[in-house]
Order: sequence, then C-alpha cells, then structure tokens
Amino acid sequence: MTNGGVWRLLRIAALATIACAWVASPATAKAAGADAEAGKQIFQEKCTACHTIGKGNLVGPDLKGVTALRPREWLQQWIAAPDRMLAAKDPVGIALLHEFHDVPMPNLGLSAAEANALIDYLATAVPGAAVPPAEAVSAPAPATSAPAASGDPEVGKELFTGAARFRNGGPPCMACHSVGGIGALGGGQLGPDLTTVVTRFGGAAATAAFVGGSPTPTMNAVWQRTPLTADERANVVAFLAQAAISERPTQAIWRLLGLAILGLAILLVAAGWIWRRRQPDGVRLPMLARQRNTARGQPATAPRRT
Amino acid sequence: MKIQSQVSMVFHLDKCIGCHTCTVACKNIWTDRKGAEYMYWNNVETKPGTGYPTRWEDQGKYRGGWVLGGKKGRLRLRLQGKWGTLGNIFYNPYLPTLDDYFEPWTYDYQNLFDAPEGDDQPTARAISMVTGRYMDTIEAGPNWDDDLGGSQVYANNDPNLDHATEEERRLMEEIGRVVFFYLPRICNHCLNPGCVAACPAGAIYKRGEDGIVLVSQERCRAWRMCISGCPYKKTYFNWSTGKAEKCILCYPRLESGQPPACFHSCVGRIRYVGLVLYDADRIEAAASAPQAELVQAQRDAILDPFDPKVIAAAQAAGIPDAKIDAAQKSPVYKFVKRWHLALPLHPEFRTLPMLFYVPPMGPVLAKMDNGKYDTMDAKAEGLAPMLSALEKSRVPLRYMASLFSAGNEEIIRKVYRKLVAVRVYMRAQRVKDIPEAEVQKALAEGGTDAREVEAIFRLTSLPTFEERFVVPAMERETAVEALFPPLDPIARNYPTHKGEVGIGFHHDPQRGM
Repeated sequence: MTNGGVWRLLRIAALATIACAWVASPATAKAAGADAEAGKQIFQEKCTACHTIGKGNLVGPDLKGVTALRPREWLQQWIAAPDRMLAAKDPVGIALLHEFHDVPMPNLGLSAAEANALIDYLATAVPGAAVPPAEAVSAPAPATSAPAASGDPEVGKELFTGAARFRNGGPPCMACHSVGGIGALGGGQLGPDLTTVVTRFGGAAATAAFVGGSPTPTMNAVWQRTPLTADERANVVAFLAQAAISERPTQAIWRLLGLAILGLAILLVAAGWIWRRRQPDGVRLPMLARQRNTARGQPATAPRRT
Repeated sequence: MKIQSQVSMVFHLDKCIGCHTCTVACKNIWTDRKGAEYMYWNNVETKPGTGYPTRWEDQGKYRGGWVLGGKKGRLRLRLQGKWGTLGNIFYNPYLPTLDDYFEPWTYDYQNLFDAPEGDDQPTARAISMVTGRYMDTIEAGPNWDDDLGGSQVYANNDPNLDHATEEERRLMEEIGRVVFFYLPRICNHCLNPGCVAACPAGAIYKRGEDGIVLVSQERCRAWRMCISGCPYKKTYFNWSTGKAEKCILCYPRLESGQPPACFHSCVGRIRYVGLVLYDADRIEAAASAPQAELVQAQRDAILDPFDPKVIAAAQAAGIPDAKIDAAQKSPVYKFVKRWHLALPLHPEFRTLPMLFYVPPMGPVLAKMDNGKYDTMDAKAEGLAPMLSALEKSRVPLRYMASLFSAGNEEIIRKVYRKLVAVRVYMRAQRVKDIPEAEVQKALAEGGTDAREVEAIFRLTSLPTFEERFVVPAMERETAVEALFPPLDPIARNYPTHKGEVGIGFHHDPQRGM
C-alpha cells in the first residue's frame, strides 16, 4: 500500500473516533432529555404528514392512546428505525404495514433521545393538539384541513408537469415522479410512480397530508425550503385523484417502442454512411479473395467474411 | 536558420541477408509482453511483397502521411483534419485489422506431457495469445511472405507494382529471372511525423535534442489516430494497456553510448547510426516540395557540419561540441549528403523520414554464349565482366524509384551508376581484369573519382564498429535542465533529474486516464 493510502485510513479512523465520542457523550443525551415539549415540536415537524392524534387515520394510523397499546421499548425501536424492524420481520410492524396500504413508515433519522421525547409527548397529548398553529411551521396545515375536493385537476396537471410553476419555486413533480395521463414518455424515475398513489394512501386527504409534510428524506430535502401552498397542494392532489390517470393507455408503450426502433434505425443508417470507408475485413482477406476469383476467372469481387 | 541535431540511420540493403536477427533482438528486449505480441518495432520484409501489416504502403486504404492541397496548397494530413478527427474519434475507420497484422499464437506444449495414452502421437495445438482459444488454421504471420512465399498472391499485390507495365510484371514473375531483396524497417523518426500530427491527445512528441519520436504512455488516450497517421504503420496499439507504442530507437542504450539493439546485433553489418544537423526552418519547405524534388529537398535540409557558419550557428543554438564532432564523423552524413547514395523510403509520404536506404544492386542477368557465361549488354556499357546493364536489371528501376525516390528514376540511376563505379574500380584494383579506359568511363558515369570510391568501399565493406555507430554522449541532463532547472522549486516535483530517471516507468501503463 502506498503512503497516501495509510494516511487516508488514519484520517478516517480519527474522524470516526471523534464522531463516536460526540454521539456517546452524556451532554448530548441530556440536552435532548425526556421532555414532552420537545416531543411536541418533533411531532409537528415530522409526524403530522401521516399521523393525527384523535383525528382519524391518514396514511398512517391515528396515534391516540398508542402508548397504552404498545410497550415503550417497541415504540422506541419502531420510531427510531422502522425500516430495520420491518427488515427483521417484526410481526406487529408487518401487520401494520398490511393494514395501512403497504406504505412503509420511513426512517426519519430520529435519535434515541428524540424518540423518547416523542413517546413522552404521545403519552400526554390531548386529542387534537397535534394540529399545529398556522405560524408554527412553514409547511402548510395537515390533512384534516386539506380541501382535496376543491382542487382543480387541470391546474394540478400543469403544476405536476412543470407547465405552471410552484409559487415557492419548487421543482415540478414530474422531475422525479412518473404518472399516467401526462403522455407516453412519462416522468422521472427517481421517485415512485404515482399513478395509483391516492388509492394506496387511502384517500385524497391522506395524500394531501403526505405531500404537505414531505416525510421521506428525499422529499424533505427537496421541499423543506420551498413548500407548496395549500391551493397548489389541493390542485396536485386533485389531479392525482382523477380516475382518468389511474389507467395508462397501452398503445403508448407500442408507440414508444416504435419511436425507439425508428430512431435506432436512423442512427444506424447515419453511422453506416458516415463510416462507410471502414473495412471490417481489413486488407488481406479481400486481397486473397480477389486473387482466388481471378485465378478461377470469376469477377474480382471480395466476399465478406462470415 | 534553426539548427537541431537528429540521430539518423542508414541501412545498406546490398548487405542485408534477411536473417531477422534485428527483429529477434528488438522483440526480446521490447515487445515480448502481453498486448505487444503482434508488434514488430523492427521487421524485415521481402520485396516485392505486401509487407507488414498487409499492403502498408497503400495509403488509399490506410490514409497515412501528408498530401499537398490544404489551404493555399499547403501540407495537410491525408487522414483527416480537426473536424474529421472529432467525427471519427471513437471510431477510426482507417485502421489495419488484426488479420492484416496476424493473430499471435503460442503452442499447447503441456499437452505433449499430459496427453493420455492413445494410438496417436500427441500434438501441441496452436493457441491464440489474444483470445486464448485453439486456432485450427493459422492464416497469417508477421513474415508470411518471407522469401517470396506465396508470391502469387503477396508479391503480385505489392503496391509498388501498381504502376508496373504488363511486360515488367511478366518478366519479374518469369521463373529464371525471379528476384527479391530484403527491406528491414524500423520507425523512421521523421522530421515531419504524421503520427505526431494525427494524435488528438498530444501524446506523441519528437525529442528536441535527438529527434527520437516517442509516445507518452501517460498521455496516450487510445484514439489510435497515430496508427492511421503514420504511413509506415510503425505505431502499434497495445490491446492490454490500451496505449500506443512504437520504436524508441533504444534511447536508453543511446544515452549510455551504445547503438540500438537491432543495429548492434546486425549480422550483415548493414546498419549505420550517426548524428546529422538539420535546419528546422526548412522542414515545411522540404516536405512540400514537388514530388520529383522531394529527395533533393530533404538533402538540402541536412546541413554540412564542416561549414564554419553551420558550426557557429549550432554552437549558438546550444548544441554541445561533442555532438558537432559526432556529426562530422557521422556515416549517415556521408552516405546521404556527401555521396548521395542513401535515399529515404517512400519520400512521397512527405514525412521526411530520417532512416535512409542504399538501394540494392539487382542480381546480374546473364546468358550462356558459346559456352561462355556472358552478362547481358555489359560490353556495351563497359561493365564486363560482372555487371549487366542497368536497364536490364532484374528489378526494374521504376520499382526502386517507387520505393526510394517518389518515382524519380533519374535519382535511382545516379545512385546505381555510382555503385557500379565502385565495383568496377575495386575489381580493377584487386582482380585487375578491367582495362583502365573502362574504369575511367565507369567513374565518369558515376560522377565520382578514385578517392571517393575508395572511401565508399571502405565504409561499405570494412567499417569498424566505431565507424558504423557514431553515438556521442547524448547529454540528456542538459536537455532536461533546459525544461526543468534543477534548482527551480516547482521543477523539484518532476522526476526528471539525473539519478532519478531510469529505464522503465514510474508506474506501469494502464487503461484509461
């Protein structure tokens, strides 16, 4: 190994040691302490996209009385890393997953201290208190107030495809998501296809809450600084809720395939013409073939090598 | 006048016996590696023949070298311009295929030991060194048409015969007159190299102090334009490292005062190496001369190292005295410039090759006349008893002109008349069976005199090692210091100092950037 490699390893080891020391330090744990106020803050920021307390199910279950329903250890593990518990085939987690439209709860990156604070809050929360005051968060109000039915699907489609801009400057949904009803070429492939998202999430209200809260890390990173307004959200969800887009026209696939084959054919013909002088057989083989044919008294044309 | 020095070479074809010792020496030192199996930095071809790779002289196929006819009739690469390079950069259409070289192979010798007992003698089948698969038929090799093997196909397709008349072709094929000679080839280390000009990555360069053309293994990006751009097909692509490689004129040997390996090992002692001084300002004019004048234009670009003006200019240009001294002793200077005997190979490619050939005398053409062996038409030209008339030579002058003088037969004729004069004079001296009048006539026709003839004879037949190989101290450290001063704080990063450089790479070449 070279000198550079050794140094790099040493540097990584040093960084890792410092990081561990910081994470394990009691000061950090104490600062995040078991405080229901902090839990409330976290709930409003990270949970309201999918959950209410006493206001009914959205994408995820209503959390009223959840602390009585589940042991504290299970809640701690689940809130901290639901993806890991699902991967470990936790029976309660799997049952919840199936009950709630197979939409898994994302890992929100909460520390153990934050999870504890959240559980403390859930244990003391008054039903309905989860609804944040309008000025509390920059993200719009949660699903209960989302006027899904009032949105205009036409405007929503324009917003989705980027034909109209979001007011706060966010990227069009199509940049990352595909959906039926926006043409044969579809949209981006980074996020999941949204064709049946409203059905999967159990209704327009849940979908609107999800969009507003942006709970997944990727969505959060994109939308935190440029949130949707309530109207925009309603319009986009109305578009997604249209029955028409839940079916994709099958002939579009064939049209796409036809276009691809035509394009390929044009490229091949162009390449064949531009590089027509290239000799796949080289010089020697045609020379031999010519000589052979001349010897037999045949026209001097070179057969191609098979 | 911008004087530079160049390590230059002469091959005396009359002395080549076609033993391929040079090829073996080069192969063992430089190209006995994975990816380089098919490379022959030095090879010996039989002429007439198609050479290696097949028909390399056919620039209609391979597009090597330069042509006149760019803007204002100036030189341009036959291959392509900048836009052509860009358009073909991922797909160069003018390359020889592996078949035009050959698929290198080895033999499955282990089978001779491991084969189970059976009725048949075990054999060692051929295995491709590229694919590792068995090869049932071997269709080509690096020297497939050696000594006119397969001449019905190969010799007949020699591009130099394209302009031969039916009569000449018929005569060359006639069984009693069949003739061939050898053409050893290495990189010509041209003054106006096509490979350098064709490289889109700027990886090929001509070393300033000695004119050796080299490929930087670090900057090469495998575009392979050099392989098309070189009309002599003397750059090769290493399929293992993904880099181009070529003859390096054994510069590590030159720098330690030895001649290159192929020169050193030459059994027939046909090879001469020496410095010449040339005027870099005249390169463009020399390369764009009319076709018939190309040879003379190149001779004019080479300067007289005895001229006080040239010496002063060379000293002013920073050429060390040892090199000027070596240029004065150079056998190449004598053959090329003083005696006009050595000619460049295919000057019509306009790369100004700095490897020169003394063309071979064809074997005599004779007939039995009244029980006496009589060389044809020799008496008429005063060449008896051992030379036939030039026009009756078994190798047509036109063929030689196509090889060595861009079709100018007059140049070839002059060379031969001088070579004939040397033979006639020396025979008169040693065997004493030629009348003085005929000797004088031969000298006059050759445009030479007794003193020059004796000097030619001496350097051709009796040269010592030091006369054949005049390699001065190359003073590489001076050349390096011009670019990277040893006390320069930035230059300290460059491993170019005495004691820091050696043979080989600081790290092995590998594919990619």
